[in-house]
Amino acid sequence: MLVRDCMTRHPILISPKTPAAEAQRIMAENRIRHLPVAGSGKRLLGLITRQRLAMKPDDLASLNVWEITRRLSNLIAEKIMLPAARVRTIEPEKTVERAASLMTDYRIGCLPVMEENVVVGIITETDLLRAFQVMLGIQGEGVRVTVNMPDKRGEFAKLMRVIVDRNWGVVGVGTFPNARRDGYYFAVVKISNVTLDEVRDAIGGIESQEITDIRTIV
Amino acid sequence: MTVAQPTANVHHSEPSRLRKFWSGVSVVFTSKIATVGLIIVLFWFIIGLVSFFWTPYPPNSSLFAQNLYPNSVNWLGTDHLGRDIASRLMAGTQVILLKTRVPGDSGWIIPGGVALWGVFGALVVGAFLGLNAAYRGGWWDQGIMQVLDAMVAFPAIVLYLVIITALEQGDFVVIFAITVTGAPGVARLVRSLALDIKTRDYIRAAETRGEKASYIMFREILPNARGPILVDAMLRVGYAIFMIGTLGFLGIGLPPPDPDWGNMVNEARRFIFLNAWAPFPPSIAIASLVIGLNLFADGMREELTRYQK
Amino acid sequence: MEALLDQTTMTSSAGPGPVLKVENVAVAYKVRGGEILAVQNVSFEINRGESHGIVGESGCGKSTVAWAIVNFLGANGYVKHGSIKFLGQELVGKSGEELRRLRGDQIAMVYQDPMQALNPSMRLGDQMKEVLTVHRGMSDADATKRCIEMLERVHMPDAANVMKRYPHQISGGQQQRVVIAMALLNNPAMLIMDEPTTALDVTVEAAVLDLIGELRREFDTAIMYITHNLGVVARVCTQVGVMYAGEMVERGQVAQIFKAPQHPYTQGLMRCVPKLGADKASSLLYPIIGRVPPPDSRPLGCVFGPRCDYAQDRCGEEHPRLRMLPSGVQVRCHFAEEIDPAQWTPPPELELPPEPVGTGNGNGNGAGEEPILVVEGLKKYYTAASNSLKGMFGMGEKRYVKVVEDVSFTVKKGKTLGVVGESGCGKSTLIKTIIGLEESTGGEMRFLGFDITGDLSSRNKRLIQELQMVFQNPDSTMNPAYSVGQQIARPMIRFGTVPKRQVRDEVIRLLQAMRLGEAYYDRLPRQLSGGEKQRVGIARALASRPDLVLCDEPVSALDVSVQAAILNLLLDVQHEFETTMIFIAHDLSVVRFFSDDVAVMYLGQVMEIGPADAIYAPPYHPYTEALLSAVPIPDPAAKQKVIRLEGSVPSAMNPPSGCRFHTRCPRRHLLPDDGAICAQEIPPWQEGEDGHRIFCHIPLETLRTLDPVITQ
Ligand SMILES: Nc1ncnc2c1ncn2[C@@H]1O[C@H](COP(=O)(O)OP(=O)(O)OP(=O)(O)O)[C@@H](O)[C@H]1O
Ligand code: SF4
Ligand code: SF4
Ligand SMILES: [Mg+2]
Repeated sequence: MLVRDCMTRHPILISPKTPAAEAQRIMAENRIRHLPVAGSGKRLLGLITRQRLAMKPDDLASLNVWEITRRLSNLIAEKIMLPAARVRTIEPEKTVERAASLMTDYRIGCLPVMEENVVVGIITETDLLRAFQVMLGIQGEGVRVTVNMPDKRGEFAKLMRVIVDRNWGVVGVGTFPNARRDGYYFAVVKISNVTLDEVRDAIGGIESQEITDIRTIV
Repeated sequence: MTVAQPTANVHHSEPSRLRKFWSGVSVVFTSKIATVGLIIVLFWFIIGLVSFFWTPYPPNSSLFAQNLYPNSVNWLGTDHLGRDIASRLMAGTQVILLKTRVPGDSGWIIPGGVALWGVFGALVVGAFLGLNAAYRGGWWDQGIMQVLDAMVAFPAIVLYLVIITALEQGDFVVIFAITVTGAPGVARLVRSLALDIKTRDYIRAAETRGEKASYIMFREILPNARGPILVDAMLRVGYAIFMIGTLGFLGIGLPPPDPDWGNMVNEARRFIFLNAWAPFPPSIAIASLVIGLNLFADGMREELTRYQK
Repeated sequence: MEALLDQTTMTSSAGPGPVLKVENVAVAYKVRGGEILAVQNVSFEINRGESHGIVGESGCGKSTVAWAIVNFLGANGYVKHGSIKFLGQELVGKSGEELRRLRGDQIAMVYQDPMQALNPSMRLGDQMKEVLTVHRGMSDADATKRCIEMLERVHMPDAANVMKRYPHQISGGQQQRVVIAMALLNNPAMLIMDEPTTALDVTVEAAVLDLIGELRREFDTAIMYITHNLGVVARVCTQVGVMYAGEMVERGQVAQIFKAPQHPYTQGLMRCVPKLGADKASSLLYPIIGRVPPPDSRPLGCVFGPRCDYAQDRCGEEHPRLRMLPSGVQVRCHFAEEIDPAQWTPPPELELPPEPVGTGNGNGNGAGEEPILVVEGLKKYYTAASNSLKGMFGMGEKRYVKVVEDVSFTVKKGKTLGVVGESGCGKSTLIKTIIGLEESTGGEMRFLGFDITGDLSSRNKRLIQELQMVFQNPDSTMNPAYSVGQQIARPMIRFGTVPKRQVRDEVIRLLQAMRLGEAYYDRLPRQLSGGEKQRVGIARALASRPDLVLCDEPVSALDVSVQAAILNLLLDVQHEFETTMIFIAHDLSVVRFFSDDVAVMYLGQVMEIGPADAIYAPPYHPYTEALLSAVPIPDPAAKQKVIRLEGSVPSAMNPPSGCRFHTRCPRRHLLPDDGAICAQEIPPWQEGEDGHRIFCHIPLETLRTLDPVITQ
């Protein structure tokens, strides 16, 4: 899955002259946490996040209520945004895992998706979580089975052969290493239109593999 | 289920003729400019009408001292022959707007001034040529447009001189001159309007009835070009008055002794060092009437040019 | 591995709220002496990747809603109240500059007339590049590359070359593609399209509609699609809102609304459109009685009340709210749950044709009926204005535009011949030649036994009288300077069909036959609606009691409900006056509904001719098949073959050799050598049953094996 498959296209953008209060309202109303700031032609100028909107407490302490209001009303996006040069971005043709690793590495919640210098979308934690669900097939009904198998060539093929032979449909797949046992990994497969017992019979019989978890409700 | 409305759901009561007429006239007053223009024009018409029955003094008699400045007796002063300028100015309106003198000594007059008849002539000739050029197209169009181009290319004043030397000075000659100089412009306007109107389906309908070309031109096309033509005509009356003025100024305009504004300016010019005041009243009269007609035409343009819908 | 991942669908609409959310919007225009509330109580929303149709008759405020969104209401229009949120930000009440910026890069609009968006004096490439170089500061070379890519995206043939041309050098359909490509260059979040295909031919329309559907999915653009054509909605939209008299009266999923329209107005609209799929006898048209009230005289309660068959006392008193039904459809009617369209019976005052439609076809199968018009090998060429120097001096070879080439058919007394084909295929020239507005270049034409190859000047009055015509454009069919009565009376006086003293009575009788009534006698054209003008046009054509009436697209400029009424009226007239008709239309459903025989024209030639039922079922001529598969059908459930013609109609100046259709024919491959013969030899006329004839090299037996285009 690539970034373009799971990003949100046509994100809400604000102009550099938008007042901070307005930006805050837009965030609240649309329940979003990141607002790219864009100039003409949707060129990225910066990014506003929830934290950027919050005032530093020591600043606040030295001001009275009127001053705070004035300060707030004069504040515009341009002044509080993280400038484009410092915003991490990604291109639509990159993979989702790349996006995810960028986000965890830099501890950031979103990446504007750029084609040259134009914002074409945004990918956030929520989008990644959604991609994760989709990959594991949350939308389809079916039997979700976790199989522990040795990290060897041909092991996954064995599992697949069983599924293909029975002409089952797969709605989601994922694999991850077994943390407790070196040289083994887990494969999670969600299969549609089958019963728990059918799956247990078919997959349970695979040599050198074992079912560690099987369920219909996700 | 209830009864639904019949197709003709809007009830139109037919307004009386008077109401229709009034609704037509009231269009003028929706435009401030047109109203101002109309007031100016009407002012001169009334002055002219009054002058038939009353002028302060007889306009052609030299009753006073020459070249007087305005005073309590002669409101606008007197001219080089000692005639009252105010009276002459009033009477001068007649020949422009209200009467045309038949040549010869009969003393007969035709209602309608020289300017009006001249423009009317230009309309008739121009519309005829324009309609034929546009509707018949092809060689007709080519030919007519060539002739018109030639007419336009010829300097107007020279044309006058030629006409006037050929004929004798008189009201009809001036009318003829106005017609000849005005016709090409009218023809062009009518042609362009007719070219547009002729593409309408109702013209096709007339053709499929086998109507004669003259019927289609004058009964089907012309009525729909009426608005713009009328506006144009009003402007042309303005030009015509100027033209009469110019001709009078050159001394080849309307024949004396009856006053007309152009001649008055012309004569006053010759004595301008004796009486600097005399050229002003007739000049201002010409200018104001032209401006009035222009304002009126401008104001009406929007209402009248909606010929398409 | 095919079964693997078979259900992995991704919901693309998930995202931070809708792209556009319109809530309770009212739009007013300030006019002399008050204001017009053009639109009120309109609410809807559009998500990413959704295409939301807005349908309704003319003047219902569809465009006004679109203009309100982009703030193009003009000097006198303004949003009176309500909220328009675009990407979460309120548009109403924002300053001009802010709005301009918010919209600039994010909302694009495509109009009916592509020339409105194109600068006629600038090369297309320069216009397109400007979008990128000015706003985005892209380099010229990059911009050129992007533009060519985008033109290719919209299936523009020879994109690089098109960039160098001026707008007038490409066809209307191509212009519309350029406009769409230009709109997409900025990758806008929303695309507003106001009747973008109304001016296009069905085949071009079909391609543009395909394109719109594709782009919506690919770019996740929210599309607001304004149209009056229910068929188009069924083809491209996912949701639809029905507008009536400035209000949204019904809104929901397209599939649901077409299957079970809840609002009486929507039901009425559906009954007005001729359906191509249904068999002819069951496709009676039921116009909605009355007309859309102008904004200043809308009824107090339900706006549809005066035209509604179900109206009750409550409807006149209480304005219904737009409410959600359990099915998820929103409807503005007090009694939506109780109304069952299946139980509907036409109200007695509805104008219906005298007998069920289609019997025109049934009463005698043509045998033994005298032909009233015989056309054989008719040709009409125009000399082309040559632009070479030689040509200017009349020395060059004369070049001809062969607008009508070798057309033959007969029209039998009392029958209707429908003529269909794309624009520019010579339909109008054909009837202009028949009626004598143009002189024919060759061939024979005999009307009632008289030769009519010459133009009107060569025909005598009696002959002229027998041939009359109904025109397309209601706004130009009547002379604005004369009253209705005068215009209908003129042919009577001219041809002396009625003694002078009885003219007025006769005019009134005709007016009544047109369902207009005496009150219309003194009206001027500007006091009439489009449908009424068209009725007067028909009355005028009938006034000389012609034997043959030629109708050139008489309903294509009218709203569906008016169109239905006029079609019914024409059928009625035909029955009463026993008039023979030639009926030109580009709408295949209308032609089917109306005609006994149909001729399909392409590039000046008849490709197929025969009884209506035979034309609309296999064997088809390949061109007819393509036309049929392009027609938008107002039924999302109907299955239609997808056959799209490539390229555009070739120039009639040098038409393709052999079969004129061979440059675009999608069926040539059925012949040996991919139809090499089509380019070389003129195809034969193949005779089917009942005078059904097909002009094609492919044997009838092969054509017969093709599936029907439309299956329910
Ligand atoms: N500039 C304007 N000033 C006054 N009234 C207007 C103006 N523009 C539109 N209207 C009126 O507003 C109403 C809605 O018009 P609108 O053009 O939105 O209708 P529509 O549904 O788009 O019709 P169509 O299908 O013909 O395009 C009509 O009654 C129209 O006369
Ligand atoms: S509210 Fe009444 S008048 Fe309006 S659509 Fe419903 S039934 Fe008809
Ligand atoms: S003759 Fe050939 S090109 Fe023409 S329609 Fe038939 S198959 Fe197509
Ligand atoms: Mg519109």
